[in-house]
Amino acid sequence: MTTTPTAPASTTPVIGAGITRVDGPLKVTGAVSYADDLAPRDALVGVLVGATITSGTVTLVDASDALAAPGVVAVLSHHDAPSVVRPNEASADDRAPRPPFQDPVVRFRGDYVALVVAQTREEAEHAATLVHVSYDVDEPVVDINDPRAPRETDDPAGADSVRGDLARGLAEADVVIEADFVTGDNTNNPLGLFAACAEWDGEALHMWATTQWPSNVADCLAEAWGIPREDVRVECPYLGGGFGSGLRPWPYIHAAAMAARTVGRPVRVVLSRPQMFTGVGHRPETVQHVRLGARRDGTLTAVEHTATIPVAVDDDNPENVVSGTRQGYAVEHLRADVDQVRLHVSPPGSMRAPGEAQGNFALETALDELAVELGIDPVELRMRNEAVTNPDQGDLPWSSKALDECLRRGAELIGWDERDPAPRSMREGDQLVGYGMAAVSFFYFQQPCTVRVVVRRDGTAAVHCAAMDIGTGTYTIVTQVVADRLGLEVGDVEVVLGDSSLPPSPPAGGSGLATAISNATALAVAQVLDDLGLDPRAAPGRDALAGAVGGRDDVSAEATADQPDPDQLGMSPSGAFGAKFAKVRVDADLGLVRVERLVSVIDCGQVLNERTARSQVVGGTVGGIGHALLEHTVTDLHAGPQTGRITNAHLADYLMAVNADVPDLEVEFVGGPDRLNPVGVKGVGEVGLCGVAAAIGNAVFHATGRRVRRLPITPDLLL
Amino acid sequence: MHPFTYTRVDDVAAASAAVTTDVVARAVQTPDDVAFIAGGTTQLDLMRDGVWSPGSLVDISRLPLTDVQVHDGVLVVGATVTMAALARHAAVRDVAVLRDSLLLAASPQLREMATIGGNVLQRTRCRYFRDPTVTQCNKREPGSGCAAIEGTARTHAVLGVDAGCIAVHASDLAVALVALDARVRLSGPGGTRTLPVAELHVRADQDPSRDNVLAAGELITHLEVPLPEARSGYLKVRDRASYEFALTSAAVVARVEDGVLEHIAIGLGGVGSVPWRATRAEAVLRGQRASLALFEEAATAELADAFTVPGTDFKPELARRTLVRQLRDVTEVTA
Repeated sequence: MTTTPTAPASTTPVIGAGITRVDGPLKVTGAVSYADDLAPRDALVGVLVGATITSGTVTLVDASDALAAPGVVAVLSHHDAPSVVRPNEASADDRAPRPPFQDPVVRFRGDYVALVVAQTREEAEHAATLVHVSYDVDEPVVDINDPRAPRETDDPAGADSVRGDLARGLAEADVVIEADFVTGDNTNNPLGLFAACAEWDGEALHMWATTQWPSNVADCLAEAWGIPREDVRVECPYLGGGFGSGLRPWPYIHAAAMAARTVGRPVRVVLSRPQMFTGVGHRPETVQHVRLGARRDGTLTAVEHTATIPVAVDDDNPENVVSGTRQGYAVEHLRADVDQVRLHVSPPGSMRAPGEAQGNFALETALDELAVELGIDPVELRMRNEAVTNPDQGDLPWSSKALDECLRRGAELIGWDERDPAPRSMREGDQLVGYGMAAVSFFYFQQPCTVRVVVRRDGTAAVHCAAMDIGTGTYTIVTQVVADRLGLEVGDVEVVLGDSSLPPSPPAGGSGLATAISNATALAVAQVLDDLGLDPRAAPGRDALAGAVGGRDDVSAEATADQPDPDQLGMSPSGAFGAKFAKVRVDADLGLVRVERLVSVIDCGQVLNERTARSQVVGGTVGGIGHALLEHTVTDLHAGPQTGRITNAHLADYLMAVNADVPDLEVEFVGGPDRLNPVGVKGVGEVGLCGVAAAIGNAVFHATGRRVRRLPITPDLLL
Repeated sequence: MHPFTYTRVDDVAAASAAVTTDVVARAVQTPDDVAFIAGGTTQLDLMRDGVWSPGSLVDISRLPLTDVQVHDGVLVVGATVTMAALARHAAVRDVAVLRDSLLLAASPQLREMATIGGNVLQRTRCRYFRDPTVTQCNKREPGSGCAAIEGTARTHAVLGVDAGCIAVHASDLAVALVALDARVRLSGPGGTRTLPVAELHVRADQDPSRDNVLAAGELITHLEVPLPEARSGYLKVRDRASYEFALTSAAVVARVEDGVLEHIAIGLGGVGSVPWRATRAEAVLRGQRASLALFEEAATAELADAFTVPGTDFKPELARRTLVRQLRDVTEVTA
């Protein structure tokens, strides 16, 4: 069974306003089991040792002192660790991260060089300080602007695009705006430290691991060890936050499997907070250039957006910094281009709204500059250039788009027309007041997802899928879809997730899981009703379901929601759209920026659950405030022994927004069900973050008259 | 974390007797050291980071030093009173500079744990000092150099520093205390003594390997804070609106009579290797007619000889503006 557009989404009370989180009570009472809580009680503890150089070769790992320390069972290094295969090695742009201890090469500071296994965490941590590592040191390259860094220009991120003739578009322009932008490196920093526990039973591997994608971790472990996929089981029922850092099978997961194999007992590896900065990805810094050409009336004639991002020397990270630019506005002549430079930095990865978070800042800031130059209202400028069809996909009509409504409603909510548009014109005492806005066209992403729905003898139902709930409400929305379509009470639906032995799923990422799993669930429900001889659209209710199951234990059906084919459907699949409006206060003397209001108006198709969807946007916006004003992973670039060391790999020094930085956030949803899929949903996981930095930056300009083209925007840039 | 032993003591004499080295004054603690622990909010961090490795901890959090009293206009605070408890005390509520230096520091959870004595003696937040894999640190290893000079130094000091060390003293409270002419009572094997807070710390440009002047076995038993007959205030400037150390701060205690600054005392935070008493600015201001122009002149004088590196070059100007703002707000001078 595959996806085809069908009837519009249900309007029963279960969908829309939604229900409280089904996993809420477990979480607030501490009863929930995170992956690490499921580790066998007799598991030994592994602590990783990171390289203290940035580039070079390990010549010797001397473990003698560590092995003599109390409680130590084993020390693994490249000298003696099991050999495994790097998963997906052949893939052009999607190699899995390199498993540790396979060679003596140090590719970044913090690269794992040893693992100490001991009876207790304290013993392992202490012994880790007794591992003596000798190196041959090479000169690292860590600066994105270093000309020595290998540069890959041939569309490495799958991001490049040319439309029309840029030179012609620029020639047709009355006004050309050109500016450079820099965004700092950020680290995901979920509160829960990542952990993996491995247990071998003969040739079968059971793993409890922090991940946003159990199916993929199981695939990769099977490939790494050359064992059948069905002999690998990865469980992760709950996550202490991920924000993209759990999307890949990171080296620490392999380390746990290797250690358990070596010592013949279960071993759990828990990262430290500093290791969370180098071991599980991060949002890469960017250097960007934007050139906009427009006629006096605001019509865009040309858009050029180029970006340089770093990747690790031996890894890939498709970070599409220009996706929003390619599809955001109706412009005939466009050039979008992303280059990668290879640096001795820890592998970058996805962090909430990868690429779009950084790219949107540059594009939407440049548009603000253009609006100022032309004397056109920034909201009006966006509306005049609205992409009614998708210019990045053969001008196919969107499957849904309500950006115009987002812009109108956002302007209304924040009182856009009541501001004095002149820069530095609104002052209250020491505080300069400013308003700014940005639009967001988030990319569409969906991968195949399979769901099994079970109707039991008593008429209750269960849903099984390997997908995991990153904390945003997947358990809850799946419960709702099943309750809605089977006519059941919410309490009569059991949802089992986060286990690779269940039907395979895509990652909880890319704003794609809610769409994939809700549609797969709807399809599986329709299938099971059909199998039961019931009307697939009748929502029969518990009694009718029990009657249809009859004397059997249960009846189940599986269905897969596939990626739709735009050409066949004659429309372009839409991601979410949004408009962000910020009101800030900037201290005229001290440069302190405080956000007073932040309005988000979002088109995410059918809202399955107002509460969890709103929560996603609120959480994303908080991340956006951090992105705009606070978060910055600072790597030491100066020549010398500290080169390549992250200088603030602690929560005390890496600043994320706290409550005092966040005003009451205003969120509204507009638009209607998307036409592409039976449930009508579009993912809302990342659109909340996008546009926040540009809206705040544009508000800072309005308040102060100072244009900051760099993130984070800190007081020293405004003195 | 390395293995260590732990004992708890109930009286000050036993505490002093247990600590036989100058571990409190030194910037490093080694396995040969017995060290005090009270709230532990700095001590444990440094032990977990592998920067400090004392072989033994003596827990002084149960010492009978938890009273807050007022005698003859002097606030006397036991050293193990928590930051939160002091901030709540009735006598502190009206002393804005003291109250706000406490409430704007750390987080509620940390303020409930951290003690007054420990706060005043807290160690620098320098990210190079706090990572033992960094080999150049004159604080940890005299003569090894300073990695921060060439490194990322946005949060570092510009006063009382030189190319040997630019570590900042991060306490907010201590900045208020120097502006209040507060004193610490010390007790040690050699008896008791009283020191101005302004003489407690050692400037980095004098000796980065020593943080303070406490002798072996000496500990702070009390703070003495003369309650000011003046207006006061504490302004803290930081990127994040809460739970962050100061980029710059200013503690101002001032009494203006007939437009003239009859009393003025200033502490600056976030800029000094010690809680910085702004004596140059005070000299410009004292006895003069208060005006915004005079405030500018005073603040400029204080920062005139700041030592900056590329990461801290914005700090003198931000500190100058911070001080001008706070002088204006405390004195309510408008022109």
